[in-house]
Parts: sequence; C-alpha cells; structure tokens
Amino acid sequence: MNFLAASIESLGAKIVGWFTVAYGMFAFLARAGLLLLDPTTWNRATFDVVIKQVYFTAVQILHIFLAYAVVISWLIISIILSTARDFGLSEFASEMTIRTLVLELLPFLTALFIALRSGSAINTEVALMKVNNELDALAHCKVPPMQFEFLPRLVGGVISVITLSALAGLLALLVGYLAIYGVNTAGFEPYTRTIAKILDFQILAGLVVKCVLFGLAVTLIPVTAGLETPKKLFMVPVSVLRGMMRVFLAIVAIEVVSLALKYI
Amino acid sequence: MNKMHFKVGLFAAASLLLTGAFLVYLLHARGFFERTYHLQLAAASADGVAPGVPVVFSGIQIGSVTSLGLNDRGGIIIRAEFLERNAKWLKENSTFTLDKPIVGGAKIRVESPDLDAPALPDNSTMLLLSSDISKEIPVLVERVKAILANVEHLTRKDGEIHGTLANVQTLTGRMTGEYGMLEGLLGSPEKARAVTDSLDKTRALITKLDAMTAKTDQWLYAQDGVAQQVRLMLNDAQASLKKADELMANVVEISADVKEGTQDVAALRAEIDDAVRKANALVNEINKKWPFARDPEVKLP
Repeated sequence: MNFLAASIESLGAKIVGWFTVAYGMFAFLARAGLLLLDPTTWNRATFDVVIKQVYFTAVQILHIFLAYAVVISWLIISIILSTARDFGLSEFASEMTIRTLVLELLPFLTALFIALRSGSAINTEVALMKVNNELDALAHCKVPPMQFEFLPRLVGGVISVITLSALAGLLALLVGYLAIYGVNTAGFEPYTRTIAKILDFQILAGLVVKCVLFGLAVTLIPVTAGLETPKKLFMVPVSVLRGMMRVFLAIVAIEVVSLALKYI
Repeated sequence: MNKMHFKVGLFAAASLLLTGAFLVYLLHARGFFERTYHLQLAAASADGVAPGVPVVFSGIQIGSVTSLGLNDRGGIIIRAEFLERNAKWLKENSTFTLDKPIVGGAKIRVESPDLDAPALPDNSTMLLLSSDISKEIPVLVERVKAILANVEHLTRKDGEIHGTLANVQTLTGRMTGEYGMLEGLLGSPEKARAVTDSLDKTRALITKLDAMTAKTDQWLYAQDGVAQQVRLMLNDAQASLKKADELMANVVEISADVKEGTQDVAALRAEIDDAVRKANALVNEINKKWPFARDPEVKLP
C-alpha cells in the first residue's frame, strides 16, 4: 500500500514538474512575445545582439552546413532515385525527393544542427550566468536580461533556422534537379510542374510555421533550462543535459505533429 | 567597417534574394501571373474523381480537377482548371477519358487528334468518357475460370488427351521398329512387310508394262506397222472410189445418149450412190478413229 502511494506520489510529482517546466516556458515565451511587440525594445543595442546571434548561429557555420546539406541531399536523392527506378516509379521520384527532403528532413536536420551547436552553448551560458549571479548584476545595472540576452537569442534562433532551412531546401531542389535530369534544361518544365504541384500556399505556410517552432525550440528550451539551474556550479552540466533532452523531444514532437497535420 | 555586420548583412541579403526569387518562380510555376482556363466535363459517373485529380495530355499533366458537383438534372459536372500555356492543347475535337488504372490514382486523359483544330473556348462543357479496367476484371476472371475448367476436364486422368497421348506413345514406339513410320501406321511388322512386298511387285510390274508399251508402240507406228498399212489401204479405197466416180460420169454421159431404158440406169445410179456414201462414211469413220490419217508421217516416240 505504501509502495503504491509512493509510486502515485512520484508520478504526481513528475507531472507537476512537467507542468511547471511547460508553464515556465510558455510564460517566458509570452513575456518575450509581449516585449517583442513593445516598440521601445527595438533600439540599436538589441539589433546588435540579434545580429551577433544570427552571426554565431547561422553565418559562422554556413559553409559547413551547406556542404552537409548537399551531401545528405545527394545521398538521399540517389537512394530514392535508384529505388524508384527499380520499382518503375521514376515519375514519382522528383515528388518524393521534394517531399522528404525539402519539407521534412532538411528542416529537421537544420533544427538538430543548430540545437547541437547553439542550443547547448546557450544553455551552458545561461546556466553559468545564473550560477555566477551575472543576471542579477545585469538587472541591477538597468540592463534587463530579457531584452538584451534572451529575446535576441530567440529571434536569432528563429531567423537562423528559417534561413538555413530555406537555403538547404533550395540547394536540395538544385541537387535533385541535377541528379534526376543532369546538367541540361530539358527537365525544367516537368520539375517546375512538380514543384508547383507540391508547394502550394498551405504547405509553404506550414513549412514556415514549423521552422519558427523549431527555432523557438532550440533557443527557448535551453534558455529556460539554464534559468532553472540551482546556483551550484556542478548543476550546470545537469541543466544542459536536461535542456538538450527537452530540445530533442520538442523537435521530434513538432515534426510528428506537422506530419500528422499534413497527411492525416 | 564591422566585418561581422557585413557578413550577417551579406547572408541576410543573399537569403532574402534567393527566397524572393524562389517565391517569384513558385508563383510563376503555379500560374499566378497567368489566366486560368476553366472546363466543365459532364460525366456519367464521378467514381474515383476528386479535386486534384490530374488532367493529362500525352502523359504530361496540364491541369487538374478543382471541384465536383451535380447539375439541375442530376448529371455530374466536373470542373477542371488549366493554365493559359497548357490550354492550347485543348481543341474542339479533343476527347476526355477517365482512366482508372489498377495501380495509381485516377486521371483524366485528353486526346487531341488534330492540333490544327480550333481551340476550345473558355468555360466550355465536354463529355467525359470512362475506361475502367477494374470493371472488366470480373468478366475476364469468369472467362479464365471457364477456360481452366475445360482444360482441367480435358486433362483428367481418364480423359481424351490422356488416351490420345497413350496412343501417340504406342505409335511412336512402333515407329522406332524395323519398318519405321509404316509399322506405326499399320500396327505390326508383318503388315508393313506385306505392304513393302506388294510395293516391290508393283514396281516389277511397272517395269514389264514399260517394256510392253515400247513393243506395242513399235508394232503400231513403225515403218511397216499396222497404222501404216491401214493408211495404205485407205488410200487404195480412195483411189478406187475416184475410179468409180469417173465411171459414174461416163455412165451419166452414156445415159444422156441413151433415152431408153433409163429406169435400169437410174436404179444402178442409186445403188452406186449408196455405195459411194457408204465408202465415204467408212473413210470418215476411219479418219475419226485414226487422227494420224491426216498426217501421214507417223512419229515414233
């Protein structure tokens, strides 16, 4: 009996913990959103931080990321093409390529890429600031951390995921064209038709919304996880670990929900 | 100059430019800058047709179904949309067929046999024919079943084909014997031998006949053969008839002089006439039977 009560209690504690985390996250997001709408937020200093964030998240890794996108696109397109030819479904190869790569896989991989590189860094940085009381110090010096530390990171993350996904998608379209039709203009008409058929307004809007959610997930979750860190140095790795797990779960959840909305 | 700002600016500008260009391309591809043509298809059944079903011309999609509906009299109206650049393939004599393959989605196939025909005007209504393979399958299966049942009946254990094959086996077994095919046909080596024997005899007989005909030939047509003698006899007969004729002429002359006793002479005349006619008939008869008489030269084979 005691055991049952204890397990129910632990389950309740877990659920309460999840709700607290989720509430903290959404409350933080709401505050960030309100601040975003506030015109006084957008001064030169905030812009500078956003630009810096975009630079570190997107521009610095651009060449590596694009090379990675080309390689993975080429591989997956080759697999799709050879399989489609084996089964006599070559006419669907271009459609399948665009659907899997441009709409699903590349945004997902971009989010994972940025989560690994920038999300973990943000989480560590915020956790360390929290442990070292830097946040309090900033607030004390009339530099609100929300405006100069967190909001630019969120905005920068969202911009980075959207632009990198778009660039990778365009590159994949180009690689797909080259893989299917080779270096000539003969396939331009049918390829254009396929693209036009797949990318209607709803799909594009869904893609943008998904990228925004990915961008928020890879920045918002690390920031809130960092802020949750108790003021002990050894808790920093634990905070990063938790934050990254949540980021991963959130990315998968967003992908699953988007797929479900699109195909069910 | 801030290098970081420059890089971010370049990145943003390039991304915006590329994305903008792609959006313009996409709008062009989706026909945003073009007029759309509308077409209504009247169909007996809209089975398998849904918004988005492609309209294909020569295997290439040129448009798609936008909506389905019923008209006032309960007929089915399928509305399809085409971009201006694709509408040129629609002609007044185009046919529209609903294709429902066993694998893959339904599609509406356009066939324009004469591309010089006048173009189909916007918003026109055409008839949609239907070619449904899946409907023919049950009929086909029934037929195949019947055929298979027949085949099964034919090939049963005590069936005709079984018996025939057994007979064929016996036949081919016999054919491998001494007298080959003949033995196979006749059933036993003895009968086959009889046949070969009689064939041998026939051959000998034919050789003898050959010799006999040669002799007969000689006997008939040689220099002093029967035919020659008959011809000579006939010539003689002809000559004597001529003499009789002359005699007759003399007799007529004499009769002109002698006024009396004409009755006897007339009777004689009738008798001679009769004899001459008979001889003539005889000559004719022989002429008929012996065509060589005309050509006195007898050719020996």
